Amino acid sequence: MDLWQLLLTVALAGSSDAFSGSEDSSGKPKFTKCRSPELETFSCHWTDGVHHGLKSPGSVQLFYIRRNTQEWTQEWKECPDYVSAGENSCYFNSSYTSIWIPYCIKLTNNGGMVDQKCFSVEEIVQPDPPIGLNWTLLNVSLTGIHADIQVRWEPPPNADVQKGWIVLEYELQYKEVNETQWKMMDPVLSTSVPVYSLRLDKEYEVRVRSRQRSSEKYGEFSEVLYVTLPQMSPFTCEEDFRFPWFLIIIFGIFGLTVMLFVFIFSKQQRIKMLILPPVPVPKIKGIDPDLLKEGKLEEVNTILAIQDSYKPEFYNDDSWVEFIELDIDDPDEKTEGSDTDRLLSNSHQKSLSVLAAKDDDSGRTSCYEPDILENDFNASDGCDGNSEVAQPQRLKGEADLLCLDQKNQNNSPYHDVSPAAQQPEVVLAEEDKPRPLLTGEIESTLQAAPSQLSNPNSLANIDFYAQVSDITPAGSVVLSPGQKNKAGNSQCDAHPEVVSLCQTNFIMDNAYFCEADAKKCIAVAPHVDVESRVEPSFNQEDIYITTESLTTTAERSGTAEDAPGSEMPVPDYTSIHLVQSPQGLVLNAATLPLPDKEFLSSCGYVSTDQLNKILP
Amino acid sequence: MNMSKVYKANVCKRENRKIADFLWSGVFPASITTMDSKWSRRTAGSLLLLLVSNLLLCKSTASLPICPSGAVNCQVSLRDLFDRAVILSHHIHKLSSEMFNEFDKRYTQGRGFITKAINSCHTSSLSTPEDKEQAQQIHHEDLLNMVLRVLRSWNDPLYHLVTEVRGMQEAPDAILSKAIEIEEQNRRLLEGMEKIVGQVHPGIKENEIYSVWSGLPSLQMADEDARLFAFYNLLHCLRRDSHKIDNYLKLLKCRIIYDSNC
Repeated sequence: MDLWQLLLTVALAGSSDAFSGSEDSSGKPKFTKCRSPELETFSCHWTDGVHHGLKSPGSVQLFYIRRNTQEWTQEWKECPDYVSAGENSCYFNSSYTSIWIPYCIKLTNNGGMVDQKCFSVEEIVQPDPPIGLNWTLLNVSLTGIHADIQVRWEPPPNADVQKGWIVLEYELQYKEVNETQWKMMDPVLSTSVPVYSLRLDKEYEVRVRSRQRSSEKYGEFSEVLYVTLPQMSPFTCEEDFRFPWFLIIIFGIFGLTVMLFVFIFSKQQRIKMLILPPVPVPKIKGIDPDLLKEGKLEEVNTILAIQDSYKPEFYNDDSWVEFIELDIDDPDEKTEGSDTDRLLSNSHQKSLSVLAAKDDDSGRTSCYEPDILENDFNASDGCDGNSEVAQPQRLKGEADLLCLDQKNQNNSPYHDVSPAAQQPEVVLAEEDKPRPLLTGEIESTLQAAPSQLSNPNSLANIDFYAQVSDITPAGSVVLSPGQKNKAGNSQCDAHPEVVSLCQTNFIMDNAYFCEADAKKCIAVAPHVDVESRVEPSFNQEDIYITTESLTTTAERSGTAEDAPGSEMPVPDYTSIHLVQSPQGLVLNAATLPLPDKEFLSSCGYVSTDQLNKILP
Repeated sequence: MNMSKVYKANVCKRENRKIADFLWSGVFPASITTMDSKWSRRTAGSLLLLLVSNLLLCKSTASLPICPSGAVNCQVSLRDLFDRAVILSHHIHKLSSEMFNEFDKRYTQGRGFITKAINSCHTSSLSTPEDKEQAQQIHHEDLLNMVLRVLRSWNDPLYHLVTEVRGMQEAPDAILSKAIEIEEQNRRLLEGMEKIVGQVHPGIKENEIYSVWSGLPSLQMADEDARLFAFYNLLHCLRRDSHKIDNYLKLLKCRIIYDSNC
């Protein structure tokens, strides 16, 4: 029994469905759309779900209710106008329309509800299409191919834009007549918009649609506007003339390649030089540039050392400055690590090696042109001209540094340190003129000194900076004995000045003294034979005076007063010594036999001109 | 001085809202309370430059004479005030719509809330005109006051909306950021409207009427469904009211500034 009942109900249900299906096979009446074109009225449409002919159309009715204040107090009301909006529609005119009020509508078919919908009027705004489209020609391009037009239209008549009740924005679409895809432009608020770059020989279609500014749904499209642009003038090109960039580029590249090959492989060296000038490679005579590239400085140095004209004078400014600054600028520098102390300390070897190391770095391999050295003294273009400028500056710096006291006194003219006074450990850049002299000097020193200098003990008392004249192939530093001959202060004529100078300056923090000045101040017995020095340092390092030696061994005067002697009156390097470690520098006086008094300075620095006068 | 361009930029690039804030402050000097005026002037000057350049990017057409920085009593014309207010209100409505749509899509899609959610909004008690005829009959001063009332009524709910959205599980960044911005812009619009009222209807200051919002408990309910429904309702009401204000202001602008001939 139960089973039968079940089957029966199922069958009935199925049949009833079938019945309803046959009646409403297309579905029940449903709302399709509710729309308000201007925010003042609205209308709702539904589908007629009744099959024609199968059954008499049921009485489909629409009921609405709208919320008043707080509650749905009212009853459902029937649609006021089934006609105005067409079939299967309900039109609510402005008296029935309230904005911002919720509405609910329901569709009934023979009393039974079939559909229901709730909304607010401001949510269903879809404006009518704009009217009155027209276009005007803006301009034509110079080529006569393209043109710009301005399209204008009017807002839909029922939208009250003037009073500002609704604000519309518009979207324009256009396309060529035979195209299928419409091109869209961005929405605009105004009622006219320019369309650019239309081709003159084509026809276009334009249409506009609008929507409420804050909504997303657009209204219907307006009627299509046909834009027929005036024909092109017959004088313009028939076809699209495109400049044959492609061909030009291809041919250009081809031609250039051909020319290039011709030049490269041609026998005409002159043309070749003209087009592809050879790039000068850095080159040092006798040195394989690969060595330089690989950074094997020791080997380079050895090679260079062998060279006669090797002059380690081309130090770049930085290394020069480093040396100077180390000693002078930090008087308070802890003496532990300073070079001075290293020099002063027991491990002279180390200090020397330090010096040597510094020397190694300080530019020997930089910009060295022995060719030019030998050939071109006048030009003083040691390093492609750089040194020409650099040297004077450097020298001036040295002069300033070395003769601070003189600067104070305004005694000294600009002293060129180069010929006579060269910094001990830092090899000065030399002027060109003294080079040959230096060459000889170094030779002499080399000959004379190596045995002595190579003795590390002999360097024991070298406090500070020794003039490095050479680096042996083994890598050790050969210190120049300096100017044994440089007895030094022949220039220091201005002794009286110097005395005063000394008094004023000695205590001051001037870092530099001339040896002569220092001598004066210390009342050192001026004349000491260099050769008879007990201390080996003076044997070899005439020009160098240690601090202690100055202060303690008063008789030490270095070679200050030694007669310059008959030897070459070319002091190669001025020695800088720290007088008051680390506060002062004592500069050894150059041992030039300066005949003139004007050669100033007790410091013994001679300018190039002066030197020129001296030298033969 | 054309402040409409200023606010177009504000719409165009939201990150400039701070700059716009300064400009707005320049326009409404009364609102500068806490900032040091000198500092604000200087920064306003530099930010003005920034904003001007941004405005050019935002496809603005004309050059803009802006209230010069440093001018304390900068008299902005009523037209510019209205332009600015309309831009702000449009912006708020746009944000509200977006926020509502996102919320609906994310949380309540297809749950038929729309049918249930035709609840009343707390601002329904304010008797505002409901269609064009009513709006046209009402006097513009009264309409302005109504706008003020609605704006004031939303101060509190917006503040709580921000807090509660933050507390939502998986607090959605998009919605939260929009809520924050709406709250900010609403305050600014309120200031602007007060300024406008001061110019249009000087001297008379009505009592601050607004309708109280009591929906906070429903936003904090434990029942997730009820809570979501409360949010949905609030956002729906916000969208509706922002549209209303936007419409009123456009109407007023056309009426007052352009003499009903926009």
